[in-house]
Amino acid sequence: MRISTRQSGEATIVDVVGDIDLYNSPEMRKTLLAALKEKHAPCVILNLKEVKYIDSSGVASLVEGLKVSRTLNSKFILYGLSAAAREVLELSRLIKVFEVYANEEEALAAGS
Amino acid sequence: MGVVRSAVERFVADAAGFGADETRSIVLAVDEALTNIIRHAYDNRTDQPIAVTLRRLDSTASSNGSGGVELIIEDHGMPVPPEQLRGRPLEEVRPGGLGVHLISQAMDSVRYEPSAAGNRMTLIKFRGPRPGTGA
Repeated sequence: MRISTRQSGEATIVDVVGDIDLYNSPEMRKTLLAALKEKHAPCVILNLKEVKYIDSSGVASLVEGLKVSRTLNSKFILYGLSAAAREVLELSRLIKVFEVYANEEEALAAGS
Repeated sequence: MGVVRSAVERFVADAAGFGADETRSIVLAVDEALTNIIRHAYDNRTDQPIAVTLRRLDSTASSNGSGGVELIIEDHGMPVPPEQLRGRPLEEVRPGGLGVHLISQAMDSVRYEPSAAGNRMTLIKFRGPRPGTGA
């Protein structure tokens, strides 16, 4: 898994490439929490376009990011979910808990 | 984990004949089972042995004659307390506790038992509609 962050206006976009599982979800968690807690980003957008696989440990990191964002009054947005990622969130009954958009343009519009 | 996922995916799709959606769910179930073993039976140690045995089930194994796959996952770790095998209510939005739920959603049968060496989990999935769902 590769993870990087970039800025687009006030939004911090976190790009993730590769599978998210037990081994690398801590790195994603750390990046998300750093953007929210240390950078105080008003909006964190997670780009999952290049993520073909995510397991419950990855979902747990997303839930933690969402909860922290709510505490800090930041926005926390996902976009580009693969069929596999969407299925895991649906099976976990979490798909409606997250703000999910099809692409970056829509995510940025929602985050502004 | 990625290596195991790839191997399970190939076997389930190519040898056992599952479609893409069911294959994805079965791979997820195995991944979640491995994650639970590492977390609970091995106390987060990632250098311990886990054996995954895959077996194709022929058409006589299921009531609808479709055949399927059996996956046996064995570890040498500590016994896992039953409460950690029950998952948690999905109404709670909080991290963790989803793995058991994802496994049971994906599979037709999930059996957990202690073994001489540690723990054994047996997962079975038949091709086609889930028995009793009529779907």
